[in-house]
Amino acid sequence: MEKEKTIIKVKDMTRHYNTNGIVVKALNNASFEIKKGEFIAIMGASGSGKTTMLRILGLLDKPTKGQYTINNLDVVNLPEEERNYYRLTQLGYVFQDYALINEMTASENVHILSLMEGKSKKESLLNAKEALENVGLGDKLERVPNQLSGGEKQRVAIARAIAKKPRILFADEPCANLDTHTSGQVLEVLKNLNKKFNQTIVMVTHELWHTKYASRVIQLKDGFIVSDKRRR
Amino acid sequence: MLKDINVGFVSALSSIKRGNKKTSFFIIVVLGLIFMNLVFLPALISGMMNLFVGLVQEYQYGNIVIEPLEDNSYINNADHVLKKVRSLSEVTGVAKRLEAGASLKHNQKMVGATIKGLVPRDEEDVSSYPYIVSEGEFLGELSRDEIMIGAMLVEGNFGSEIYDNLGDVKVGSLVNVTYVNGVEKTYKVKGIHSGTFELTDLGALVHYKELEDVLGLDGEASSIVVRIENEGEEAEVKKKIIDLGVKEEISTWQEKSESLIKQALQTMGMMDIMSKIVSLIVGAALIFIIIYINTLNRKREIGILKAVGITPNSIRISYVFISLFYVVLGIFLGLIMFISLALYLQANPIMFYETMEISPAIDAGMLIKSILTMAGMSIIAGFIPAWFVTRKNILEAIWGR
Repeated sequence: MEKEKTIIKVKDMTRHYNTNGIVVKALNNASFEIKKGEFIAIMGASGSGKTTMLRILGLLDKPTKGQYTINNLDVVNLPEEERNYYRLTQLGYVFQDYALINEMTASENVHILSLMEGKSKKESLLNAKEALENVGLGDKLERVPNQLSGGEKQRVAIARAIAKKPRILFADEPCANLDTHTSGQVLEVLKNLNKKFNQTIVMVTHELWHTKYASRVIQLKDGFIVSDKRRR
Repeated sequence: MLKDINVGFVSALSSIKRGNKKTSFFIIVVLGLIFMNLVFLPALISGMMNLFVGLVQEYQYGNIVIEPLEDNSYINNADHVLKKVRSLSEVTGVAKRLEAGASLKHNQKMVGATIKGLVPRDEEDVSSYPYIVSEGEFLGELSRDEIMIGAMLVEGNFGSEIYDNLGDVKVGSLVNVTYVNGVEKTYKVKGIHSGTFELTDLGALVHYKELEDVLGLDGEASSIVVRIENEGEEAEVKKKIIDLGVKEEISTWQEKSESLIKQALQTMGMMDIMSKIVSLIVGAALIFIIIYINTLNRKREIGILKAVGITPNSIRISYVFISLFYVVLGIFLGLIMFISLALYLQANPIMFYETMEISPAIDAGMLIKSILTMAGMSIIAGFIPAWFVTRKNILEAIWGR
């Protein structure tokens, strides 16, 4: 029995790159569904296609073929402007190297997206404050990225992604540049978001121990899904 | 669009606030110098033009000059014409003049010169001749057998070393004049006039009546010079003079001076345009390079901004704001430098030809035009590189593929 609504449906998702006449089959016929509130870890070795899959899911790239819908909306064939707006309002994306704007404070890095959504400055600042408090950085709102540690930067990146309360949060190896202790802290933040706000999370990782935070693990190898298991 | 502007502004503001201050200062100073270069030369040329125009008006043509038609040597019944022209309310002064070529001799020295016959009282209203007497006095209404000698004809004065001169002429010296019609006269020097202008200082002045007698004329004039109340209304007043039935050659000072200074003005105008183009190209190139390098360095950041949903337009707008910030401060600094220099040069003019004082003219219209041109240029120069970079797709911008 389905407890939660299916929000992502992927069918035969394929992504081939043509580099100097050589076709690289990064992803082949991937099919799966994701329900609201799931915390999914996509696992795989380097070159297995996990990042390619996340980029397509995060609307940063398009599949060569296959179907991809979010809440039954065909997001692959949306015009670029609408994909951009969808990314802004519905999806959150955490990059492995934080991807913060160095000249902006933690608060500005977060609230600029709310401004883009059309919210007032006051509302945007409140949103940013709330999001940064949620990741434990309520006291570092005015710090710029080079005044923050790696873990703190990644938490700002997460705050940026969750401030707009996205339907789905995508995280591309969010702990790749962090030590084990800090990685644990970041993963705890993600886990809490998932538990506290029923946030749907799709995270790419190559560390097996990261998967213990996820509720489901999809394993990729050479562009194919080789396993898809729920964790208890 | 409003959201784009809002986000662009916030993004630009943080970039400016936390960017490299020394680099920003350097950019602003360079833009300030470029702006000063953009306005300084035109202001100087404008100052030179004002000087030449002033000289041509003051001594040669007034605002309007009436001359005989091509077939005639003189305007007949000049007093009748004077009366008609004086009846116009816009006219503030009218004077008739006669001119004749002559050779002047003092001691053993002889020079050729044009002698003007003037009505001294009328000249007070139309020219500066009565006010440029460097030695002695100007001609009076009863001046006969008296002459004013231009300063360049007197040894020791500026220009006398370039041109032939009459040697050591002083007030009270006697000068022999032989007119083109063969009449010889001896005049007593009443004064020496110095207008720091060849047209005045290489000539001599006598009373109108004196020259009228020498030439055997009765009421004729070589020219009638007209001064009007408001500069710029020459064409309208000229039309009114024609409407009064004056059937002579009537020209505004602009028309008359065309041949005299048109070439010089054109040359200076060309220099002005070339200087402006070079300044604008340098300014545009500077802004373009700054923004281009900035966008290239931040290509990945721009890709990320796009990836998280910031629109390309707001990113472009942020670069336009950054360019505007630099250029507005640059213009402000340039204006301060220009006005300071212009005021200094107005107090301490550049000496041209040793006697003419040239200072830059501060023209609000020209400044506004330059400000708008430079601001417009900076918007374009800031927008183009940002447009190029934001056109790249997200994957290419962030990961180079």
